[in-house]
Amino acid sequence: MNGNADLAPLDGAHTGAGGVAIHQTAAYAYSTAQEMAEVFAGRAPGHIYTRISNPTTYTLERRLAELEGGVGCLATSSGMAAIAALALGLLRSGDEIVSAAGIFGGTISLFRNILGRLGIQTTLVEAGDAAQFRRALTPATRLLFAETIGNPRMDVPDIPALAELARERRLPLVIDSTLTTPALVRPKELGADIVIHSTTKFINGHGTAIGGALIDAGTFDWAKGPFPELRALARNAGGMAFLAHLRMLAYRDLGGCPAPGNSFLMLQGLETLEARMQAHCENARKLAERLSGHPGVAWVNYPGLESSPFHGRVRKFFGGRAGGLLTIGLGEERRAFRFVNALRRARIAANLGETRTLVIHPASTIFHEYEAPDRARMGVPEDMVRVSVGIGDFEEILQDALQALAASDKEVP
Amino acid sequence: MTLTVNGSSVEARESSTVRQLLVDRKVKMPEMVSVELNGEILERSGFDTTTLKQGDKVEFLYFMGGGNGAQ
Repeated sequence: MNGNADLAPLDGAHTGAGGVAIHQTAAYAYSTAQEMAEVFAGRAPGHIYTRISNPTTYTLERRLAELEGGVGCLATSSGMAAIAALALGLLRSGDEIVSAAGIFGGTISLFRNILGRLGIQTTLVEAGDAAQFRRALTPATRLLFAETIGNPRMDVPDIPALAELARERRLPLVIDSTLTTPALVRPKELGADIVIHSTTKFINGHGTAIGGALIDAGTFDWAKGPFPELRALARNAGGMAFLAHLRMLAYRDLGGCPAPGNSFLMLQGLETLEARMQAHCENARKLAERLSGHPGVAWVNYPGLESSPFHGRVRKFFGGRAGGLLTIGLGEERRAFRFVNALRRARIAANLGETRTLVIHPASTIFHEYEAPDRARMGVPEDMVRVSVGIGDFEEILQDALQALAASDKEVP
Repeated sequence: MTLTVNGSSVEARESSTVRQLLVDRKVKMPEMVSVELNGEILERSGFDTTTLKQGDKVEFLYFMGGGNGAQ
């Protein structure tokens, strides 16, 4: 018997197998009714149903929690499912969120449409300006939300300043670290209380599965926060209160569990995350530098550029690496479309963080449901193309972009 | 001494610590268990230093937080 044997009932990685086993099962059988009742009562460890927990997913959760330095993790069917579980697990009608404005369109849509309909209001502010967060706070504010790097605004919030504000008001600071991953930053070390990931992106890395995760950094005292249910639970569950609450309520009842096979793909992605992130960051920085000042490019937005107002924060928070995503302006929508259509290697796709280069015209796709003035406020001008820079040979990526720029100047009949 | 563990009467060694009780009761996944002593959750750091006494009510609880990175 070795130390790992204790993990056998819950953990998918205890056999010594090189790959983590995919536990493709819906439910888990017990020898006796009493044994099962003990697990239901929380008096014995065990899996009940894959909608609540699964050994493969549990291994992913352990690794993500460890990578983020958190007390625990909840893996979900998508990044959106993680944010939905967080919001619906914590908030009620009359509560408010203060969020960065230049964040993922799906998150804004959830905040505005679904939460708005439930009477939960969201105030959107400039991510880069912590003073705006402060001004937007009201007695009903329950959480602060921002992305490490806003997608697609590419702005970097002053996370320690937001953390200070959150601590002062005893509110949790939620940081979506999808664009940075634990390879670039542990948001906990900057003061985040909850870390969110769309694991679909760089963590999976190959565009083969949808997934999300929520990590409790263990820094927020749920016994003293503004969430009555959590205050009561924290007396029993201590530091695990929030995750236990989410798993046994929002997650269990909302049904946003990952498929075990997808958890396996995320685990496999984690193996190469650091190496891939290094290549993404390097290729993106070089592409941003080469396109800056190109006569066919109106503007380049990449926080890793020295000319970016966020370059200092990238150095300070992310060790100088600014991720694999950048946006460029082509002057007008028509030209942006021509550029996208002329690319030979990059694919037109609504994902990011894959090994290959992906492009999208955000205004007509991810943000198509918003009016142009709204889009402008979210940092999505009509001429913007978002580029998720792949990890392949840089010269090939560059040449593809340069030939497409040349082609985009030619009028297509 | 007699303790109440998860609702059942249990004989335990005199002045056992919580850690010793976890071992003696062969509690599964001790790194994942939360211990409630007389209705109060006990800090993990107190498992070695908290001595149990006659009549104590102990509950071993597993909060399925998931992925305990602090093991």
